Amino acid sequence: MVGSGRKASIEVRDLVVRYGKVAAVRGVSFTVAAGEHLTLLGPSGCGKTTTLRAIAGLEQPESGEIRIDGSPVFASSPRVQVPPEKRGLSMVFQSYAIWPHMTVFDNVAYGLRVRKLPSAEIAERVRGALELVQMGELAARSASKLSGGQQQRVALARAFVFSPSVLLFDEPLSNLDAKLRAEMRLEIKELQRRLDITSVYVTHDLEEALAISDRIVVMRDGVIEQMGTPNEIYDLPRNTFVADFVGSANLIRGRHRPDLERDGLVVLETPGGDIVHGTAHGRRVGTEALLSIRTVHVRLSRERPAGALNVWPATVRRRVFQGDFTQYHVDWSGRSLVIREVATDPLAEGEAVFLIVEPRHCVLLED
Amino acid sequence: MARLVSLLVGGAAAVLVLYPIFFLLQASLSVGDPQARPPDAYGLENFADLPRYSHIFANTVTVAVVATVMAVLFGFVMGWILSRTNVPGRAALEQLMALPYYVTPLMGALAWSLIGSPSGGFLNQVWRALGGEGHLIDVTTPYGIAWVMALFEGSVAFVMIGAVMKSMDPALEEASQVLGAGRLRTMLRITLPLVLPGVLGAAIFVFAEMLGSFSAALVLGLPSRFYVVTTAMYQLVSQYPPQFPRAAAMGVSLFAVMFAMVYVYRRVVSRGNYVTITGKAFRPRVMNVGRLRWPLLAVCGAYLGVAVVLPVLTLLYASIQRLATAFPRTGNFTLENYRTALSLDAVRSALWNSLLLGLGTASLGVLIMGFLAWMIYRSRLPGVGAIEYVLMFPQAVPRLVFAFGMLWAWLIVPIPIYGTLWLLLIAYLTVFLPLGLRTISGVILQIDRSLEESAQMCGASWSYRLRTVTVPLLRPGLIAAWLLLFIASVRELGASILLMGPGSKVITPAIVESWFSTSTELTAAMALLQTLAVAIALVLLFTVARRAMQHPGE
Repeated sequence: MVGSGRKASIEVRDLVVRYGKVAAVRGVSFTVAAGEHLTLLGPSGCGKTTTLRAIAGLEQPESGEIRIDGSPVFASSPRVQVPPEKRGLSMVFQSYAIWPHMTVFDNVAYGLRVRKLPSAEIAERVRGALELVQMGELAARSASKLSGGQQQRVALARAFVFSPSVLLFDEPLSNLDAKLRAEMRLEIKELQRRLDITSVYVTHDLEEALAISDRIVVMRDGVIEQMGTPNEIYDLPRNTFVADFVGSANLIRGRHRPDLERDGLVVLETPGGDIVHGTAHGRRVGTEALLSIRTVHVRLSRERPAGALNVWPATVRRRVFQGDFTQYHVDWSGRSLVIREVATDPLAEGEAVFLIVEPRHCVLLED
Repeated sequence: MARLVSLLVGGAAAVLVLYPIFFLLQASLSVGDPQARPPDAYGLENFADLPRYSHIFANTVTVAVVATVMAVLFGFVMGWILSRTNVPGRAALEQLMALPYYVTPLMGALAWSLIGSPSGGFLNQVWRALGGEGHLIDVTTPYGIAWVMALFEGSVAFVMIGAVMKSMDPALEEASQVLGAGRLRTMLRITLPLVLPGVLGAAIFVFAEMLGSFSAALVLGLPSRFYVVTTAMYQLVSQYPPQFPRAAAMGVSLFAVMFAMVYVYRRVVSRGNYVTITGKAFRPRVMNVGRLRWPLLAVCGAYLGVAVVLPVLTLLYASIQRLATAFPRTGNFTLENYRTALSLDAVRSALWNSLLLGLGTASLGVLIMGFLAWMIYRSRLPGVGAIEYVLMFPQAVPRLVFAFGMLWAWLIVPIPIYGTLWLLLIAYLTVFLPLGLRTISGVILQIDRSLEESAQMCGASWSYRLRTVTVPLLRPGLIAAWLLLFIASVRELGASILLMGPGSKVITPAIVESWFSTSTELTAAMALLQTLAVAIALVLLFTVARRAMQHPGE
């Protein structure tokens, strides 16, 4: 039976990884609970893959500690470095790393053969794993004759067939086209839940991260910028970087006006003199502060709604039709905002409109 | 564990390379009794003495420069025709361009001596029969020697320059044309500057090889007492009493120059390539040359003709005559030479020894060099960069010079391998290290590291990974390396001629010996037999190997 492996927890503490003089990871700490699906999210070069490879044992960190189920697999002092093959983890590679000189069956059976299982059991488990990724019919095919999506499926089956305690994913979908990527994203999520396994997933794709994770770690330049559930990350970005990287956001800078505050809202006055009500979520407000508003959280209306906060007159400058939504570039008191709306009654360029944002969608940033 | 093994093997290989070089240096500084080992006095007199041989150095440079110019010209023209024009039969011609390399400078020299020696050369016989005076061509001159060397080295230059021309992004040229530059302007301002570093690199590489080349200068130059550094060294060592220290000083100076050349070559290649080599395989834009196709095809045919067809046919023609002459006469034809060659014990055992050594060098070499290449380009162990540098050393040392160092190095070793095939085996494994490493590393670098890492993540140990993933993936490279090592060993001359003993003769020096002491016709037969033996051995091995290597899944 596939997926009968025990779940393991992972602790990473003060991890530092250096390539020569360049520090790729500069003191990263986080934990993954048993059975949790954690995603490391960030732009290329942020150290997410390096962190994953350090957990796998494929990179040798300079300092810090990595524990799997409480026992150290890497520690700087006293020196511990358990080789990758002894860590009981498994990994899906960005390049799939399907061995071209073997059949699909041999590829998947590899980890089981390493573990010297009886051949009847190997056949049974490989068949089960291939069924699960819908590749049952192609077991005898040479791996060099597979399409990208098929290779991806074989790579998945190979990674979980021997019931590892943790499954690591290194940008597994980045080489697929958009449609297939959306499909595989769902399949991976399905598989994770079904195998009931701990997983660490690396990606630079926000949608992917939001879709499959229990928790997301956003990284930049080798350090963690924010950690939280997909909802926390999306709704309450901690700073400009996260707000910007995690989906598109409008940033509004203004002077703090404590005198106007009521109902627990934070109030800023923009350089243009507009008054913006937002939510602080317990964050400290300086004299100058920054609010983030998601592009989908701004509504456009031809008529002024009655009595609402955060209503400003503006002009539509550009309309860009993008299929599922329409993107408007709007002039508002001498600055430009981006707004995405599902197009029902499209506004014309040059039209005068009102912007409406609920204060709970204006999130105070820390910087 | 793996770390220790790697460092031990790497270290041993480094010692294998550096040990003879140390003895070469030591010998060159010996100023006491030239026969004394270790030297009883040290000094720089041998080097101070070198100006006496300035004419030899001048000869060497002349031959090398002329040969390099010709070889690069051949390589450039052929490279351009075969990678950038729509000449008919390009694919086949490109395959055929490997042939001059297999003809070897020695065979070329023997054949061209038969064709163009001033008195008895076939071409000159024909010239005189047509009423000409004296001789039409003379291959025993520096230019003749350069010509023979260039024919051979032209295919090397072709491979290097052709690769640069192919790896150039055609969009770079198209961009120039789109922006309004004509074809000629594009050629001069875009194409030429882009391929120039590659051509320069090839020229330096070829020049370094020419400086150390031996066999053509030996066969064509020795009778007329025209010496280059390598042949002069050989003369100094094989005369009685031998002048080891002086020869060593010559070898060291040649080594120094070649080392500098190889260094410059590496600089040029690493700096110039960034423009053209992006790691992507481009389909080079092929120029429609219209009716010019046929003259260009004739150019290709002419090069292959003088570099391959003519030499081989000449040797064949000479080998079936009692007395080699340009004009066929009934009664002069015979198979006696082949019968003699095959019945001579010396030839038979030499051929057998060579094949045996080839087998040993190739098999052991693939094992050792495969491991070394994997260690250098994969293991990320500390210090592998330095090991790589040392292992590539023999590339900068002419084989004759290297063998000279080994001669001294292994004479003093208490293990009695001097004058046996074992010494030749060690010599071959050392001098062919760069050849094997380069061939195998080319494949290693193409294999994505994650293929090995994923085996690791599946829990496979180091040796299990090596057996199930690394070696099977490397197989094409290992086979190619095996073939190259086998062929190179069986035809090796420079190292063998110094290191073989009376009981360990090998075929190529035997051919040279026969050239100088017995008949040309017999020598021609021997040279062809050697080629035939290599071909048969390869066919046999391939049949066996193919049957043994069939694996499931394909």
